[in-house]
Amino acid sequence: MNPSPTPNVFLPKIAILDRVDSEIDDVKTFYWHFKDPADQEAFRVFRPGQFAQVSIFGVGEFPASLPPSPTENEYFFTIRQVGSVTAALHQLKPGAVFGVRGPYGNGFPMEEYYGRNLVFVAGGIGLIPLRSCIVYALHFRKKYKKIQIFYGSRVPKDLLYLETLRKWQKTEGFECHLTVDRSTEGWNGPVGVVGSLFKKPGVSVPVENTVAFVCGPPIMFRFVIRDLKTMGFEDVNIVSTLERYMKCGVGKCGHCCIGVAYVCVDGPVFTYAQIQKLGEEI
Amino acid sequence: MRAKVIDRAEVLKIVDLLRKDYEVLAPFCGRGRDTFFDIVTDENRDQIQIHVPNPYYPPKRFVLPHIERLLKIEQHDHTLRVEPTYDEEPRAIFGIRSCDVAGIYHLDRFYLGGKFRDIYYEKRRKNLFLVNMVCTDPELDIDEECFCVCADTGPAARDHFDLQLMDLGAEFMVVAGSARGEALLAHPLFKNGTAEHLEKRRRILEEARGHFKKANSWFAATIRYMTQDRILEKTWEEVGHRCLECGGCTYVCPACTCFSVTDRQVGPGEIERIRLWDSCALGGFTRMAGGFNPRRAVHDRRNRRFFRKLAHYFIQRELSMACVGCGRCVAVCHGDVGMPSVVEMIRRATAANEKHEPVTNA
Ligand SMILES: Cc1cc2nc3c(=O)[nH]c(=O)nc-3n(C[C@H](O)[C@H](O)[C@H](O)COP(=O)(O)OP(=O)(O)OC[C@H]3O[C@@H](n4cnc5c(N)ncnc54)[C@H](O)[C@@H]3O)c2cc1C
Ligand code: SF4
Ligand code: SF4
Ligand code: FES
Repeated sequence: MNPSPTPNVFLPKIAILDRVDSEIDDVKTFYWHFKDPADQEAFRVFRPGQFAQVSIFGVGEFPASLPPSPTENEYFFTIRQVGSVTAALHQLKPGAVFGVRGPYGNGFPMEEYYGRNLVFVAGGIGLIPLRSCIVYALHFRKKYKKIQIFYGSRVPKDLLYLETLRKWQKTEGFECHLTVDRSTEGWNGPVGVVGSLFKKPGVSVPVENTVAFVCGPPIMFRFVIRDLKTMGFEDVNIVSTLERYMKCGVGKCGHCCIGVAYVCVDGPVFTYAQIQKLGEEI
Repeated sequence: MRAKVIDRAEVLKIVDLLRKDYEVLAPFCGRGRDTFFDIVTDENRDQIQIHVPNPYYPPKRFVLPHIERLLKIEQHDHTLRVEPTYDEEPRAIFGIRSCDVAGIYHLDRFYLGGKFRDIYYEKRRKNLFLVNMVCTDPELDIDEECFCVCADTGPAARDHFDLQLMDLGAEFMVVAGSARGEALLAHPLFKNGTAEHLEKRRRILEEARGHFKKANSWFAATIRYMTQDRILEKTWEEVGHRCLECGGCTYVCPACTCFSVTDRQVGPGEIERIRLWDSCALGGFTRMAGGFNPRRAVHDRRNRRFFRKLAHYFIQRELSMACVGCGRCVAVCHGDVGMPSVVEMIRRATAANEKHEPVTNA
């Protein structure tokens, strides 16, 4: 057996919560750092699209995307409160300690996309994993051709990272289009599902030499895929992340399997072509 | 591999020898068919069973316990200590059957292969010594459910044990399968064998193979159908209808690997993070936050078990299918959807559905 010592992949590193921002209902962003500067440094290797396992000791562990880009200097999670562990995290106050291990998963191969157009399509909290790619792509703006962001939520108050989005909308060099399913008081942007933005006057989505990133709830995913296919996108040029119940993040517990894939190590990023070949419905 | 012989009356002295360095586990009889592995003590040493129906509770638990602590956590107002706890007790299993040896080897490739190695498994495994007993007794060793011959794992393991014993009558043949095993063979308990012993071994093994009359699990065809996605939904539904979702098949399986992780409070400020065997047969296995379950139907979950065990992709990855032919799932399943039944259901249904066009003369 292997002579080099085996690291304990189940041992979380200690993290300290710095501050908490409320985003939208039930969703907060948690800024944190590792207690040990060596851990803080070692974690920098993460790539857009990867995730970490977050531990609230005594309650449990859950997988969370890494919304920051490695080009930024802060670590944070954006988490919706849905069950026991996420609720426990939501109760933590700055200064509290918790555990983080990772980064895990394959991530998006952002270097492979150099020289191509990038189209980001997100629905609801699907923007969380895509935020990392977007910030990364804007950091290396010159490496990519056209960059377009299409983001939709049910109602205006469900738009995530609204401040950042507003900033993006005012920045030259890329497009950022927002929409909501239902408009409410004060909203003067477009109304309709996210796919309707592709046909908005003045919008032209290039199909040649383009990668489309799609993240959002299952129903939105299906409709957007249909729209993209109609526009002429090939399955290999559509990428997404799959979400599965995960217990280990390191390819051992078996909970995240879809067909032949262990989503935690073989994914969570898959092309639509790969998704169709997994051998199980998603 | 080097082989020696030992007198029948001396066989349990191997256990005594091992007990100097290891906690030794050996098979014992319970009531009825029930058998189990237990720690050998001075008191129970003479009750060790040489020929015995394989215990349903698989010896897998000595490398992957049913429940094990991963972390010890102490959390008080201003302090937090998180400490991994390892089990490095040297253990020997005396009398592990060939199918279970193959099961442990399968687990080795799974837990120690891939992108991440499992340190808890590794520490236990490193300290584990395996004494394999070849199944030769048609009454005691070889059950009706056994089909190791189809899974190519038995009745005599070819590899991955430290020592292998085989009953030749007045003597046992002892084969070393590792350096540790060879070192043990140097002990004066073991005598050199003769060509006659080897001949006898060959003959007995051939006879033993003849005792698996009912074992005919057509894995090859099923693996092909599975891999080529040719199995009818209807067949999975039939399997699903017969599954009662008890999880039994996965808990007795020496080649199943799935587990769950959870925290439990053991005292004020004291927490344990534990992992425990889990089962893809159970409804909660894939249920996600919000209640969405990608494998809602029973037959989707049953499908999962057999797909994971037999799809070519995984066989390539782990170099063997995730079934060693121990027959335990056959014995415990209330609905008769153990491995060989399902293999047969799939083979028949798929073959019937894909009848060749009749050949006619031009
Ligand atoms: C790769 C990846 C990235 C993710 N990124 C993010 C992110 O950035 N932000 C975010 O908000 N979310 C994210 N998620 C989702 C997040 O992991 C889940 O919302 C989280 O695991 C919920 O944990 P919980 O403890 O709060 O819920 P729990 O209460 O533990 O529920 C979680 C699951 O536990 C199981 N469960 C709970 N109770 C029972 C029961 N009684 N019986 C059986 N099963 C039960 C269910 O299957 C349930 O789905 C991500 C998920 C993945 C896989
Ligand atoms: S033992 Fe049989 S009934 Fe129980 S979960 Fe397995 S297949 Fe279903
Ligand atoms: S699937 Fe059944 S026969 Fe095969 S190894 Fe598991 S318990 Fe034994
Ligand atoms: S989360 Fe455990 S195997 Fe993927």
